[in-house]
Amino acid sequence: MTAQTVAAARSPVPDAERSSWVTSPLFLKIAAGIVLLLIWEGVVRAFAPGYVAKPSGIVRVFAAVISDRQFLSAAGQTLSAVLIGLLISIVFGTAVGFAMGRINVVERGLRYYVNSLFATPMIAILPLVTLWFGYNADARLAVVVFAAFFSISTNACDGARSVPLEYLEVAQSFRARPFQTLFDIIFPSSLPYLLAGLRLAAGRALVGAVVAEFFVSIPGLGYYILYNSRTFKHNEAFIAVIVLVAVGVSFEALINWLTRRYLPWARRD
Amino acid sequence: MGSEARWARYATVIVSLLVGAAVWEVAGRYTSDAFWATLSSTLRSLFDLLHSGVLMRQVASSFQLYLSGLSLAILVGAPAGMLLARVRWLRVALENYIMMLYATPMVALIPFILSMMGFGFAPKVLVVFLFAVFPILYNTVEGARSIRPELIEVAQSFRSSEWRLWFDVMIPYTLPFTMTGIRQAIARGLVGMVAAEFFLSPSGLGQMIMMGSQNFDTAGMLAAILIIVLLGVGLMDLGRYIENRFAAWRGYKP
Repeated sequence: MTAQTVAAARSPVPDAERSSWVTSPLFLKIAAGIVLLLIWEGVVRAFAPGYVAKPSGIVRVFAAVISDRQFLSAAGQTLSAVLIGLLISIVFGTAVGFAMGRINVVERGLRYYVNSLFATPMIAILPLVTLWFGYNADARLAVVVFAAFFSISTNACDGARSVPLEYLEVAQSFRARPFQTLFDIIFPSSLPYLLAGLRLAAGRALVGAVVAEFFVSIPGLGYYILYNSRTFKHNEAFIAVIVLVAVGVSFEALINWLTRRYLPWARRD
Repeated sequence: MGSEARWARYATVIVSLLVGAAVWEVAGRYTSDAFWATLSSTLRSLFDLLHSGVLMRQVASSFQLYLSGLSLAILVGAPAGMLLARVRWLRVALENYIMMLYATPMVALIPFILSMMGFGFAPKVLVVFLFAVFPILYNTVEGARSIRPELIEVAQSFRSSEWRLWFDVMIPYTLPFTMTGIRQAIARGLVGMVAAEFFLSPSGLGQMIMMGSQNFDTAGMLAAILIIVLLGVGLMDLGRYIENRFAAWRGYKP
């Protein structure tokens, strides 16, 4: 953010041009948005069959879909599965990550498993998860947890390992109990890492929930998209995509805001 | 850490791998076959698949898809990102939309792609491409935002041609950021590959997993999942290597 303002202030644009409303960032952004929507509308009208989603069609069905009880309950189910899955992953992922970060034996024992499952696309275990939990909402929750857990635990591990040694020494010389060291030193000190992990986990959890709904066919935004696109109601289906994008973007914004507001000391890269 | 510590480290890693293998085997023996297969039967299944040539064929098919989508994403994402780095008004106009698409769960678009483009190779490449392109574009643009205007000013005051400006300033400066994007794209593209193989026309490793689950051949399914885990680990290491290889160029950032 600061880099951008500095760049703007130093950029060799003549004053007359800079003050003009045509080059103001807000105007450019809005204009670009309108142009993109017009291109979309034009391309679909010219080349695509009538059922394909286009801005005018989406606007037409927006009010009806957004007040539709079925749509709202689908959105609620997907988002609550994502939130519950994230909470489970935060609690257990942080515990496992901290244990790995502070206790060498645990780290050596789990490192290969946690790292390789972190690198695995969790979609791949979807059929296995449905064998375990059946074709129901539990399978979706399990996929969300699997998708989110490992990014939180690897980041919690990095965070716990990055705690400055002096802090721990001071705690030790004041005879802090292990519990106090954990909650008053290790936890706050690794918060930036936990938030970075949470940001990654949230994106993966959203993908996991949608994919699970495609596969398992349980009510939710993913299934809403699948069902409506199969019956050639692309405009309706696209509104579910818009909700997913809004959730993804606002989560990203929330984490950025939290980091800036409460953790200004954290190194930003 | 002395030699004793090093010895202990190897010992615990080996013990942990052995315990994992034992847990896998025992879990397979004491549960139903549809639930979890033993390590030995998984390895036997893996060996059979390797021996009959099925594994190589499916891995090759997956790789063809993955590399087509990923290289397309790099070929489009990197130049487009650099163009946005140079043309400031275009970047200001588009950066919020790129960020939005970067945060979009692209799996949600698969049903649309399926009903518009049907089954075939092209829609699957499109899925991998969509998963992979926005991390590259987003990171390149983020890098471009932090480019120091002095660099361009100096080049311009020495009457650098546009061509030299690109090759001596723009590309060297933004490349490390692009590499971070490519690292993310490598991981996301793999997710896209599996998703495309599951939900569009079944092929490759995704098809192997699907068929294993439909035929209750849990050993075959676990064998395919194991290959995907190894692929994921290998590709993540490759991505980290590529990123670190260029990270030093960021050197003078405060």
